[in-house]
Amino acid sequence: MSECNESCPRRTFCKVAIGGLGVTSAAAVGFPVVSFLGRPVRLSEDKPVQVSLGDLAPGQAEYAELRGQQIIVLEGENGPLVVSAKCPHLGCNVRWEAADSLFRCPCHGAVFDASGHVVSGPVNKDLTSIPFEVKDGTLTVT
Amino acid sequence: MSRLFEMTRGWLDERFNFTPLLEKNVTKKDVPRTLSWAGCFGGLALLTFLVQVFTGMLLLMYYKATPDGAWDSVTFIKSNVSMGWLVQRIHAVGANLMIALVLMHMARIAYYKIYRKPRELHWVSGVVLAALTMGLAFTGYLLPWTQLSYWGAKVGTEIPGGVPLIGEAIVVWIRRGETISGETLGFFFSLHIWVIPAIISAFMAMHFAMIRATGISRPL
Repeated sequence: MSECNESCPRRTFCKVAIGGLGVTSAAAVGFPVVSFLGRPVRLSEDKPVQVSLGDLAPGQAEYAELRGQQIIVLEGENGPLVVSAKCPHLGCNVRWEAADSLFRCPCHGAVFDASGHVVSGPVNKDLTSIPFEVKDGTLTVT
Repeated sequence: MSRLFEMTRGWLDERFNFTPLLEKNVTKKDVPRTLSWAGCFGGLALLTFLVQVFTGMLLLMYYKATPDGAWDSVTFIKSNVSMGWLVQRIHAVGANLMIALVLMHMARIAYYKIYRKPRELHWVSGVVLAALTMGLAFTGYLLPWTQLSYWGAKVGTEIPGGVPLIGEAIVVWIRRGETISGETLGFFFSLHIWVIPAIISAFMAMHFAMIRATGISRPL
């Protein structure tokens, strides 16, 4: 066998082949892993929210999900109301408490009245209201 | 690139004499000339174990070990998490593969009588490892909470009922009650992700340390 040191085509070929295989294998493992770690797809993401108002008694609320965000449909005294459940303070989901007709945030105690206005707590913005349509007794949020 | 490797190695050598360690254990480690491909089964079983650990970690990000959540969360992994179906399949098929490799490894050791002196304890620790592998597979089988896994666990946990006198007590102990329930699921889950992996890792360490000490068996 002849000596071959610097520019040896076979050795170069082997190095490139092994390197190429290594990169391909790393990509074959890395791609599924990285994409697994991404945000999961919510299948309900693009579906409009529909609530039959006949099912809601006055002062009763229903929770729904719109584009990955929780929203609250409330049958208020002055007709229905839809607000984002996201507290404008630090983004926790507020809950509707029918007993005293208030939205309360479980994280830092912000309180909002039945129309989403601030009552008290570490917050100076109202709950975001969300536009909706009512047709034949069904409330639709898109 | 190779300069970077050299520099890194030099840096490590200055600190804990890395190169001799690498040569002794990896790059210049002698294996018998006569070693065939069949000698790889044990190492491949370890590789599948590591794949199981890694894919298991990924599945654990979404899996919920409750009767209400288990099936839904596995379905969520398979249909909503990107590449989740692949990770879940690799974990399920990998379990079968690991058992197959362990059995092939044992068959070779038994056929060539490698378990004889001075390697008796290699065999004993290996049998424990095989039993623990079966335990991992059995406890993992219940976790998707499907009809198949439910009845699999029911039939499997009935087997120790044949033991005289204490059989029934063992069955109740394993099931955490009379029947397969949410408590069984939680118990199997903790066995599957912590208890058995911790014990199996300790036995693997012993198994490998003993192989290092005696070296790989050579034919006469």
